[in-house]
Amino acid sequence: MEDLSYYKEKRSEDWRVELRKTKKAKERTLMERISMLEQDAVERSQNIEEVNLGLTEEMALVEAQRCLDCANPTCITGCPVGINIPGFIKKIEVKDFLGAAEVLKDTNTLPAVCGRVCPQEKQCENSCFYTVQLKKPPVAIGYLERFAADYERNSGKMAIPKVATNNGIKVAIIGSGPAGLAASADLVKFGYDVTVFEALHEIGGVLKYGIPEFRLPNEIVDVEIENLRKMGVKFRTNFIVGKTASFDDLRAQGYQAFFVGSGAGLPRFMNIPGENSIGIFSSNEYLTRVNLMKAADNNYDTPVSFGDTIAVIGGGNTAMDSVRTAKRLGAKRAVIIYRRSIEEMPARVEEVKHAQEEGIEFMNLHNPVEYIADQDGHVKQMRLQKMKLGEPDASGRRRPIPIDGSEFLMDVDAVVVSVGVSPNPLIPSSLKDLETTKWGTIVVNQDTMQSSVKDIFAGGDIVRGGATVILAMGDGRKAAAGIHDYLMEKVKKN
Amino acid sequence: MVDLTTRYMGLSLKNPIIIASSGLTGNVESIKKLEANGAGAVVLKSIFEEEIIMEYDHMMNKMDQFESDYEYFDYYDYKIKEENVSKYLQLIKDAKAAVSIPVIASINCVSSHEWTYFAKKIEEAGADAIELNAFILPSDPERSSAENEKVYFDIVNTIKKEVKIPVAMKMSYYFSNLAQMIKKLSETELKGIVLFNRFYSPDFDIEELKVISSHIFSTQSDQVMPLRWISIMAEKVSCDLAATTGIHKGEDVIKMLLAGAKAVQVASTIYQNGAEYIQTMLKEIEEWMERHNYLNIDQFRAKLSQAKNENGAHYERVQFMRYFGEKESTL
Repeated sequence: MEDLSYYKEKRSEDWRVELRKTKKAKERTLMERISMLEQDAVERSQNIEEVNLGLTEEMALVEAQRCLDCANPTCITGCPVGINIPGFIKKIEVKDFLGAAEVLKDTNTLPAVCGRVCPQEKQCENSCFYTVQLKKPPVAIGYLERFAADYERNSGKMAIPKVATNNGIKVAIIGSGPAGLAASADLVKFGYDVTVFEALHEIGGVLKYGIPEFRLPNEIVDVEIENLRKMGVKFRTNFIVGKTASFDDLRAQGYQAFFVGSGAGLPRFMNIPGENSIGIFSSNEYLTRVNLMKAADNNYDTPVSFGDTIAVIGGGNTAMDSVRTAKRLGAKRAVIIYRRSIEEMPARVEEVKHAQEEGIEFMNLHNPVEYIADQDGHVKQMRLQKMKLGEPDASGRRRPIPIDGSEFLMDVDAVVVSVGVSPNPLIPSSLKDLETTKWGTIVVNQDTMQSSVKDIFAGGDIVRGGATVILAMGDGRKAAAGIHDYLMEKVKKN
Repeated sequence: MVDLTTRYMGLSLKNPIIIASSGLTGNVESIKKLEANGAGAVVLKSIFEEEIIMEYDHMMNKMDQFESDYEYFDYYDYKIKEENVSKYLQLIKDAKAAVSIPVIASINCVSSHEWTYFAKKIEEAGADAIELNAFILPSDPERSSAENEKVYFDIVNTIKKEVKIPVAMKMSYYFSNLAQMIKKLSETELKGIVLFNRFYSPDFDIEELKVISSHIFSTQSDQVMPLRWISIMAEKVSCDLAATTGIHKGEDVIKMLLAGAKAVQVASTIYQNGAEYIQTMLKEIEEWMERHNYLNIDQFRAKLSQAKNENGAHYERVQFMRYFGEKESTL
């Protein structure tokens, strides 16, 4: 249990005490959870606009009243970075929406992003008093977080955080995903000369290349990046650290510390026969080509035609993003092939629900064992094996067991393999003294995020393998504090 | 000096003692030691599905400490499999470079699709042959014998489409018509059949009321199963037969050769007596051959097989009849 003394102090402020008295707890618990406004399912499956439309002010005010402002806020312990959840919700209840955004930004660099993509149903909302004690739908923490962040952005009063005077000490951030952006924000606030190096031509990492517009509009990420620019963070795109320049090159240019947030950009495959056929993509390639390279637009340099039947292998959020993208690009049949049942899918419940509403076909308890290509080497069929569920594995989910003799062929025009990604091996392999795990992740001190190479810190997917956006940001912030301590110590010694 | 050479699956072996797929054949140093002590060939350790599952669970427990996303490790078993396959291919290459005896790769098969991709890579890595280790226990009461048997033929047909090197099948005796199954399998493109696979078997600890592992090693008495079935099938099959399970001494090897085996596979006795024991077994065989004036193995191979024996009924007798009938009760 984290130290909640700061939270208790805030909860004892007069306005909070008075607010709790304005409505009895019983009345609050009798209120129904608000539903998110959404685009019509048929309509949205033909456009790339955001599916969730957000809450109106009135809806947010009503939902904020449901929060009981608990003395023991279990929701905070359910949040990986310990956001003061009742703190920001009560600000909403008193219509101080900008104040709510400020509370969020104390611990969360990108609340508008987290309000959209965090798996709240597994984290804060899963630990909410309503869920745990009352067995009722939890307070819509995620919706309210998004509301406060969007309100601030649309108000034109988005505060640019104060930054300390530039101390001239150069720090390099490698990767511009959530971990890198969070680290850069804190480091520039401390006064460092921060440059973010990004391998692709767009800033934002997985937030841009991996998450489609209909779930996270690029505009949301761009506003945050623009704020970082205004705070003094410099960005260099098309720059691959380890190839374009080595760590030693950057050290020679005066960089005194590094934060590696290079993510998990190496797609994994299943290594089954025929998987090298034309028309079989990794979800990374598929989503990057569509999200960043406009592959669906024939006016661009690298258009691709994906065909009528698209099968997506996997059951995570990336698989849902891929299959829903396929539907939007005109697939008549967009199908999820997943080897466990729908209950075991790692994707967010909301994403599965949205996919179902949009007409995505789910073939659960099926697994591909072979791909068959036509004369030109283009995939035309997949051999699927039926599965059954066995005993639970270490994740507590029942293990998929193949049913012998159950294989059958299914016609496909393209396949997107979305069975996970591995840490990008470029940086670990370019530094021989860097300690890594057998899974290719970088070993760090969990308090400071410092690696075995003293001036290199790391966080996000390159450390955890697979992390949620909020955990990656938490790592970035922890590493920024670690880098600050390391550099101050160094300055003191010199 | 007697000649111990034999041919098995088209491969020339300096003697009929093959080291069975086991931990003994899981690394190059051990394989070199086995060759130095006279092994005729080695069958490399199999990659088992269970090992992949155990590593997967271990990985998930580790990753959980970092609050990693389920999505990341949902299909991680494929990655573990890929790594294990890659290590295995390296073992084949290293073993081939280090020893001159035949190196037979082993594939643990549970379904026809599972490892076909792997077979091609094994051939490319330089293995001299492949042994399909069919670990299929017919324990599902809903499945017919025909369904269970079909899996074996599917495995052979699928693998043979992928590779040109000789392929053998190591099988169990859990069939309703074992003789026909062995005969029909021998008529496929298999070059060898190994009788019989030894499954892990459960036992009970009656004090702790727990399920435990039964004997890990075979005992000499286990050899009666391969001895009977090789004797019965030796002259009726269209491919080579090798014997395994319960072969612990030189005399046991001689028995299997007399039954009609082209080679034998040993593991338990080497675990218990060390690699040097291969030399002892070979010496026993040589001395026996000298005693019986045999210059080479072909002179006595299958001499006691059912087909060459006047009293063939011995091999098919299932009742002890006279033995117990004439033995007086001492109760």
